[in-house]
Amino acid sequence: MKKSLRVILLAALVCSLFFVTAQAKEYTILVMPKLVGIPYFNASETGALQAGKDLGVNVIYAGPTQADAAAQVKMIEDYISRGVDAIAVAPNDPAALTPVLRRAKQRGILVMDWDTPADKSVVELSVHQIDDKVYGEHNWDLLVEAMGTDEGEYAIITGGLAAANLNTWIDHGLAYAKEKYPNLKLVTERIPSDEKQQEAYRKTLDLLRAYPNLKGIIGISTPAPIGAAQAVEERGLQDKVAVVGTALPNDSAPYLKSGALKVSTLWDPAKLGYLTVALAVKRLNGEEVYDGMEISNVGVIDVWDDGITVIMGPPTDFTADNVDQFDF
Amino acid sequence: MKQLLRSKEAGILLIIVLLSLLITLKNPVFLTSSNLLDILKNNTVPGIVAMGMLLVIITGGIDVSVGAMTAAVTVIIGKYMVHAGGNLLTVFLLGCGSGAILGAINGFFVAKLDIPPIVVTLGTMSIINGGMLYYTGGSWITNIPKWFIDFGRIKLLGIPVQILFLVGAAVLTHWVLRYTLIGRGVFAVGGNPIAAVRAGFHKDKILLFLYSYLGFMVGLAAVVHTSIMRQVDPNAFFSFEMTVIAAVVLGGANVLGGEGSVFGTILGVMMLAVIQNGLILAWIPTYWQQIVVGAIILLAVSLDVMQNRRRQDQLTRIDVAGEAPFGG
Amino acid sequence: MENNKKEYMLCGVLAIIVIIMSILSPDRFLSLYNLQTMAFQLPEFGIIALGMMIVILTGGINLSITSGSALAGIMAAFILSGRVMVGASIGMSIALAIGVILVTSVLLGLLNGFVVAYIGVTPILVTLGSKTLYEGISMWLTKGGAISNFPEAYYWFGNESIIGIPVPMIIFIIIALITYVLLEKTPWGTRVYMVGSNPTAAVFSGINIKRVLMQVYVYSALMAGLAGVIMLSRYNSAKVDLGSSYLLQSVAAVVLGGTNIAGGSGKVFGTVIAVAILQVISSGLNILGVNRFIIDMITGAILIAVLTLNIISNRRESRRKSDETVLVAENRG
Repeated sequence: MKKSLRVILLAALVCSLFFVTAQAKEYTILVMPKLVGIPYFNASETGALQAGKDLGVNVIYAGPTQADAAAQVKMIEDYISRGVDAIAVAPNDPAALTPVLRRAKQRGILVMDWDTPADKSVVELSVHQIDDKVYGEHNWDLLVEAMGTDEGEYAIITGGLAAANLNTWIDHGLAYAKEKYPNLKLVTERIPSDEKQQEAYRKTLDLLRAYPNLKGIIGISTPAPIGAAQAVEERGLQDKVAVVGTALPNDSAPYLKSGALKVSTLWDPAKLGYLTVALAVKRLNGEEVYDGMEISNVGVIDVWDDGITVIMGPPTDFTADNVDQFDF
Repeated sequence: MKQLLRSKEAGILLIIVLLSLLITLKNPVFLTSSNLLDILKNNTVPGIVAMGMLLVIITGGIDVSVGAMTAAVTVIIGKYMVHAGGNLLTVFLLGCGSGAILGAINGFFVAKLDIPPIVVTLGTMSIINGGMLYYTGGSWITNIPKWFIDFGRIKLLGIPVQILFLVGAAVLTHWVLRYTLIGRGVFAVGGNPIAAVRAGFHKDKILLFLYSYLGFMVGLAAVVHTSIMRQVDPNAFFSFEMTVIAAVVLGGANVLGGEGSVFGTILGVMMLAVIQNGLILAWIPTYWQQIVVGAIILLAVSLDVMQNRRRQDQLTRIDVAGEAPFGG
Repeated sequence: MENNKKEYMLCGVLAIIVIIMSILSPDRFLSLYNLQTMAFQLPEFGIIALGMMIVILTGGINLSITSGSALAGIMAAFILSGRVMVGASIGMSIALAIGVILVTSVLLGLLNGFVVAYIGVTPILVTLGSKTLYEGISMWLTKGGAISNFPEAYYWFGNESIIGIPVPMIIFIIIALITYVLLEKTPWGTRVYMVGSNPTAAVFSGINIKRVLMQVYVYSALMAGLAGVIMLSRYNSAKVDLGSSYLLQSVAAVVLGGTNIAGGSGKVFGTVIAVAILQVISSGLNILGVNRFIIDMITGAILIAVLTLNIISNRRESRRKSDETVLVAENRG
């Protein structure tokens, strides 16, 4: 028994040695997504690692396998033990990260957030892909455009009821619609789809039955518009029900071309990853980040008056005509 | 007929009828053939896997790795179709074959090494999931060939082809369970493993077969799933195992082993399906939906057990002690 | 002595993993900061694992344990964040919040216990249903958002130390000791084991199985609540999915710790060591910068490996024993 134990542990040792990442470069920057293993955060990993290569810094891209705040806090704690120069995190629950980020700051680590804002009092830089309000409103504008009218019934399918950034966009959009499109009628509260295409598909089928006068569906979260479009296509309703929402161009291409998905909108997550690392390096080098600054490979950025919030730029709308130009 | 009314399945059937009645009263659309076909079609995947899971649960085992396995097989066949093309036959062979192999690995540890099934499958779940997501990064596989998508659209006499696979899986499983030596062995192993071995059943071989059979069903379900969704999302089966296990146990299978039927399991799947479908059709507000689902499950299982107990009390008043409920 | 073999082996595994980690990153893994960090991380998971263990001892399982933590935590968070009971003093609201957590978890445990013990539904179904129900209530209460901004004083439970020992660690040690004494040193504990190993015999020896089961589910829910007290403080907020990643991990820790999944046997010490093993693997590999999916794979492999070793050594043991009996028999003959 002892012998086999030794063999197993030796094997484990070799394995772990194998996976240890190289570490020799000047700065080490931890970029932490909400979770790893989904296409969106996979794309931003590519950008973050590319920036690391371009700028000569060591980028670690690591996150929990579930979008759970507790798991994320633990990983940050472990990486503080490991020793990093900067932490950029996309919080699952902003408030939950405040204590650990404060501790990181006390240990002289540059603390930033990206993708989703953390507690403003603990971060030195907050990198947003977009202005949440503008983006929320943009989705409703797209819906009205795709429906061809600003009156009628519509529904919202969201990734999850507990997803803070999705809720923010929807809340902004709803407030905006109340004022600008008073004749749009939301048939029921936002419907959760568990971040899964099959759930969005199934619930859309149910929605189309429960609300036969439905004219539009907004899908918030990347699998939602795809599932909704699929259901609409299957029922042959693409001319009656307009589906719009946030989706990656590669995934939405087939439905954009079939007309079931009218338009999808998103930013390039790889660019966001790149920008996050680029700004971290600038800050570590003691450089200022200012409004109208040009970042190579990303473009001109906006910086708000608070000096912390950085906006990457407007989203890209993908339609049947332009979707093939993008690859993410 | 009388026998049916007295059987364990009668209780759950009654609950389904009651729920359907309630939903229909609120929204008659529920009872249209197209809605019922949709419900069936969208639950073929958990239904097929539940057939395999049923056999495992009758032996007193459990498999929590089915979610990870299903996802892994969808990735395997997805990659295969995109890169190698193949045809319908090879896709089914590859899907069911790789599923059966994954299942056989579980079966080996359970049957030959006698490790508790929940431990083995918890372990293989982490390993399969981790490996698959490390390899794919969670990226969707799109561009599934058109011939496969066309296959998914086939309808025979108005019935989607996917439903036929569920029927096939159910018939096959019923046959294995009722009319083969293995089937008798399954009940024997679940009822009293020691007696089963004494009676000449090869417990090892039966278990190895069953876990491989479950793997085979997982493979079949993965192919069917891909034919519905037309893209592969490696994260689509997160927490899928809970749905499958819940369906089997709701359908009257005893987690301690020795009891369960194909008809009951189908009813279990359908009960969950009807509840989910009814949420939107009966216009239940989003934030109430989960409360309603949880309450219905708790009430339904309690009613079911109480009804069974009354029936048994009428039949016999002898074995009071053995009646006490324990299970894992 | 022989009864503790599993636990000795687990200690050995833990020691070897610690040694490997120390060799791979001596300056970081063994740093005081990391040791302290691990001591802050372990307790919440450890307490949930103990709550899971006691249910598994009776042959059940509690899939609602983390949802219960979250729901109890959310109830308390409403008080701590000042959304209800506006105007109460800080001390008052903290005391009240902890009271609310405990009361809520007892109620949640009573529900599970009642349906399992008195109605007689399989635990896995009951707790799957109550998991959905608790999550639904949490969702309805919070509309999916996080309840945060607690008074600074509440940080103490999760973030402070007393003479270098983290407060949550102290809470965990006390809870583990209490659980140990209750389970392994009192008649009540004997009853719990008996309900798990042989319910029929338990009935005939006059044990009120229903009451014991009820108490077990309440105890489990209380553990969930206490873990909630710590999590609330460490994460400074409560949300519907608080600690959800601990659910299957806690089942893994309990079986890794040598508890029989069918009930009847298992030691508190084993569970504690298993929790420590999972903690060291997770933190150690994070410090090495290993991909999280690879960490999952290694954890899964270790789970299977340790159980395989256990079983192989058990088999050898029983073979040796049966050889001895044969030998004795032959000598006699």
